[in-house]
Amino acid sequence: MTNSLLFGVSIFVYFFSMVLYVSYLAFRSETLGKVATFTLLAGVIIETAAISLRWYESYQMGIGRAPLTNLYESLVFFAWTTAIVYLLMERKFGIKTAGAFVTPFPFIIMAYASLNPNEIQPLVPALQSNWLISHVVTCFVGYAAFAVSFGVSFLYLFKVKAENRPAKNPGGLLNYLPASDLLDEVGYKTIAIGFPLLTIGIITGAFWANVAWGTYWSWDPKETWSLIVWLIYAAYLHARITKGWRGKKAAALSIVGFSATIFCYLGVNLLLSGLHSYGG
Amino acid sequence: MAEDLKREKTRADFVDKIWVVFTSLKLVITLLLVLSVLSVIGTVIEQNKPLQEYYRFFRPETVDLFGRLGLLDMYHSWWFTACLALLALNIIACTMERYPFIMRGMKKQSAVLDEKLEAGLTNLAKIKYSLPAETVESRVTAIAGKNFPARPVVTEAENARHFFYEKGKYTRIAFFLTHLSVLVIFIGAIAGSLFGFKGYVSINEGELISSVQARQGENKGLNFSVKCNSFNVDFYPNGAPKDYRSDLSVIRDGKEVIRKTIRVNDPLSYEGITFYQSSYGMLPDTVTFEIRGKNDVSLGNVSAPFGKRVDIPGGDTRIEVADYRERFNLSDGSEAGPVVGVNLYSQGAPPSGIWISETRPEMNRYGAYSFAVKGVKLRKYTGLQVNKDPGVWVVWTGCIMLVAGIMMAFFMSHKKFWIRIGKDKNGRVEVTAGGTANKNKHAFASEVERMVESFREVS
Repeated sequence: MTNSLLFGVSIFVYFFSMVLYVSYLAFRSETLGKVATFTLLAGVIIETAAISLRWYESYQMGIGRAPLTNLYESLVFFAWTTAIVYLLMERKFGIKTAGAFVTPFPFIIMAYASLNPNEIQPLVPALQSNWLISHVVTCFVGYAAFAVSFGVSFLYLFKVKAENRPAKNPGGLLNYLPASDLLDEVGYKTIAIGFPLLTIGIITGAFWANVAWGTYWSWDPKETWSLIVWLIYAAYLHARITKGWRGKKAAALSIVGFSATIFCYLGVNLLLSGLHSYGG
Repeated sequence: MAEDLKREKTRADFVDKIWVVFTSLKLVITLLLVLSVLSVIGTVIEQNKPLQEYYRFFRPETVDLFGRLGLLDMYHSWWFTACLALLALNIIACTMERYPFIMRGMKKQSAVLDEKLEAGLTNLAKIKYSLPAETVESRVTAIAGKNFPARPVVTEAENARHFFYEKGKYTRIAFFLTHLSVLVIFIGAIAGSLFGFKGYVSINEGELISSVQARQGENKGLNFSVKCNSFNVDFYPNGAPKDYRSDLSVIRDGKEVIRKTIRVNDPLSYEGITFYQSSYGMLPDTVTFEIRGKNDVSLGNVSAPFGKRVDIPGGDTRIEVADYRERFNLSDGSEAGPVVGVNLYSQGAPPSGIWISETRPEMNRYGAYSFAVKGVKLRKYTGLQVNKDPGVWVVWTGCIMLVAGIMMAFFMSHKKFWIRIGKDKNGRVEVTAGGTANKNKHAFASEVERMVESFREVS
């Protein structure tokens, strides 16, 4: 079980990257910022190695399957994609201060994952399908994009609220944060990436269900919640593109959307029953 | 007359008002959010369960109220369906409203870059050259041709040559694709529920069936028979199931037309009807009992085939094998091992059913009789989900339209670019260039920027 050792290391690295991003926000030293980014990147690389190793180990055990099939594996994958989507957004838009709001996700998700059983289990017949990888990957990259949008929207609201208060120390933290417009834009751009992926994720899931059970849609709680998430982001996109909703209202809807995403992912499994009982 | 006019006007106003409501963004967003909130209810109250399940959690009057409100099958309730119908009307109205604008956007553009057009362009650049006009033209159009593979429209006007480039014109139909896809999916789903059915059938190994139990309750006859040649299940070393396999044959007019081993995720389809591996189980084929009567006198062995009433020697009682369980828990929680369920028919008494245990003979009593299981011949059966859905391909078409439309809407745009090659007041060659895009304007601006940069380097 060397993969779990590597996963353990990545939890610590993610933790340090979170601490570094928060200190970067507090002390605003460029060097600190660079170190934070590199630490997060290191975390991603270690986790990539851990996931690959887990995949390889499953073959050695004679099970041989992608590591995407239970709650533990999906959490780990979620943390990994969130970190990657954030790094890409940071690179494209230079929004390093948002890191303090996004990097807690990989850490918390990994820490939560470590509380769950992590043995490599063989696949039950329903999960033995070529649709497994495309369905899980599209859904989780979508979730990760929504997580980043959530973090950025949160920072946006934080900034706008602080701006409306009388300034205590001009030249302080506020000026250091990215422009509100940029945050607003990144919040939207990440949803524009997540929404198509969620759409494909739901459709591949429907196609798979049709092959396995003979119905593409059965109003199972997981299916219904993924539709709820889809409807919320569809409302967001209509409001934004057609009506020009920006700023606070858009940020609030992004936060609602991500809360629904988390419920769809974890809440449904923990609180409701249904077809996804294996935890994907 | 005036009255009529007034009435007509009010009617027109009314229609206008409805139209405004149906094309308003407010309705779209409200519907999307209302649908999502309503959907939550159905995940909190479990849907389509037997009534007893609800009585465990709610008071009878609450269950009654839920039932009357349609909350126990809410995704098929009139109000949920009404919301979906409103959404469909909303989509139709918005598509009609947008149609002329989208068509106008795809119409031919002015191929001439005049002053009026110039004013509306972002990234407008003017570059002067001390080169012959022909050289400038060939180099500049070569650069533009790399970004815009389609041939430009070339026009001579106002003492200048104009080049009009365009790409991604048809990405403007993204609106139609995404919105109509939802209607297409609805149509597919309706077609499936009108012309298809869902059902279940279990087939014993070696036997064949030619009808299935539809979910609506009635028996559905098939034009063919399905035979289960064999059923097998494999387990992992830890006891978890690894593979369920049914070897099936489709038989038509006495001839085998298809033979296929189906698994979960790999069904069998014939004439639009699909058979999915869903469950399995065991049924007793024949059970042999040793039966004792009064004073524990052996009455000999009795072999009872499944479902047949067999006489118990020396009396007027008949025994029928009705069920079999591999494991059976007694009411005190203890394990009774495998049990055979039998019905006993005595003259002058109502039929009575008892469980006969292989390992706990003390429970196997009926009147003066006692039973011991001497042998059980089991037969496996495979449980198949049966489904006919002629609308499913319509649904997939809608899904493909939706994904294609979303991709176009988010990642592609209709880009237009003009170049004018003329002379300035001093007779020098002057290139004027600029473009517009309907979406992702920022990305297109930097694309134009890079092209213009290359234009400047022409020497």
